[in-house]
Amino acid sequence: MVALFGRVGRWALEQIAAALRVSVLMVDTMVWLVVAPLKGKGFRWRSSVERFVEFGVRSLPIVGLICFLVGVIIALQASYTLQKWGANRYIADLVAVSALRELAPLMTAIIIAGRCGSAITAEIGTMKVNEEVDALEVMGLNPVKYLVAPQFLAMVTAVPSVTALAMFIMIFGGWLCSVFVVGVESAIYINQTVGAIVEKDLLTGMVKSVFFGVVICWVGVYRGFQVEGGAEGVGRETTASVVASIFLIIVVDLVFTVLFYFL
Amino acid sequence: MASEEPVIVVEDLVVSYGDKVVLDGINFSVMPGEIFVILGGSGSGKTTLLRNLVGLMQPRSGKILIYGENFTAMSSQERTQFRRKMGMCFQGSALLGSISVADNVALPLREHTKLEESTIDIMTRIKLELVGLSGVEDYLPSELSGGMRKRAGVARAMAMDPEIIFYDEPSAGLDPIVAAGLDKLIRTMQATFNLTSVVVTHEMESVRIIADRVCVLHQGRVAGIGTLEELENSDHPYIQQFFARRPDDQSTAAAAYAESLTGID
Repeated sequence: MVALFGRVGRWALEQIAAALRVSVLMVDTMVWLVVAPLKGKGFRWRSSVERFVEFGVRSLPIVGLICFLVGVIIALQASYTLQKWGANRYIADLVAVSALRELAPLMTAIIIAGRCGSAITAEIGTMKVNEEVDALEVMGLNPVKYLVAPQFLAMVTAVPSVTALAMFIMIFGGWLCSVFVVGVESAIYINQTVGAIVEKDLLTGMVKSVFFGVVICWVGVYRGFQVEGGAEGVGRETTASVVASIFLIIVVDLVFTVLFYFL
Repeated sequence: MASEEPVIVVEDLVVSYGDKVVLDGINFSVMPGEIFVILGGSGSGKTTLLRNLVGLMQPRSGKILIYGENFTAMSSQERTQFRRKMGMCFQGSALLGSISVADNVALPLREHTKLEESTIDIMTRIKLELVGLSGVEDYLPSELSGGMRKRAGVARAMAMDPEIIFYDEPSAGLDPIVAAGLDKLIRTMQATFNLTSVVVTHEMESVRIIADRVCVLHQGRVAGIGTLEELENSDHPYIQQFFARRPDDQSTAAAAYAESLTGID
């Protein structure tokens, strides 16, 4: 019994310590991203642009392909039910709304978490193992300024940008499938789509995707700094990073979905 | 060496990882312009001591005074300022793998000074030449050999013209010829710039070449401090054993190991 309490207590203390470390990281990131540049302490713009290319532009082909296929899949699945009532034209509504509000942001975030969140963890983890993080500190270069702030800005801009394109591609996939497989007339499909979308759908998706970017970056960075002891540690934390960020993406998704449902 | 004020003074330093005390009451001082070697076996706490000296770790108690200022009690901003007087060469060189050797050396200059890019370029070349590495500016660290990487690490540590330089195991993992070259480099740096140098090592060969004074660490305590001759004449059993390169007595070592497991003396 005592052992059980002891274990629960230790676990709780560890969680609190971890939460504290995460908060310090969050505050530090914001300081180096917003406050320090205003004070003229500089921001590594070049590094941020390079990261944006890596996280955003290089993710486009795979995100585009997957979202196109998901668009096709939803259209077919929707038709399975809708054609019973001869309501195939409503495929357009379903594809458009689910792409904008849910599926494009979610698919994009999950793919970028797998592709780039893991890379962030592996890179920072390897740098920590090689004492490069210590070296930065000894040289008087803040690791958060040098490593985190540029990636953070890149990630929170790259994820929404890719998401916007993914929305379009997903709707295109749905259109292609409906017109050439299911047999909906193109003009009707486009009309239905335009009629189905409201501003709020787009807003919901974009707000979500910004926060998905925040989650991917912070989880990746935090896990990277947690790495201890060699290559094995890098591997372990990289796996943990992807699992944690996909889980948190879903949680954030739920929170925002509930929020927007009642708003 | 000189009878001036010491550069680094360590007073009653106690460092622990959780409940495990790694350094227990360390006292020593480093005089300006000398090469001070911290010598000790694996697990003696010498790397931990070095990490405290450069502020990568905070001690549990005790003080580190650098130029008379309490380094351990500084805020992180003050420490960042103060660190410009210090350079450090890491065991694995710790060059940033994603940028070229020249960019590595130029990094502190770009961050801390407002010098023009052309000036930084020249300074980088000078520093690399100083350590005998001209012509490798555009290589990535991974394209260099181990010895060259360490030399580049020295060049980077020298970039801001520090007054104190720390070396963590400079000859570890190098062949004897390259290691000897690095010992010579440490000597040259000290002689040319009157650099106060603190070297952590376990290699007796390099100690004989570079050390002005030596501090021997054993199980988290100072076993002896002095010049090499003084220590060679010391009657401390661990120092004698270390200098004679004698292995541990198997029976006592096993007993000590059993004690450490059971916690019974």
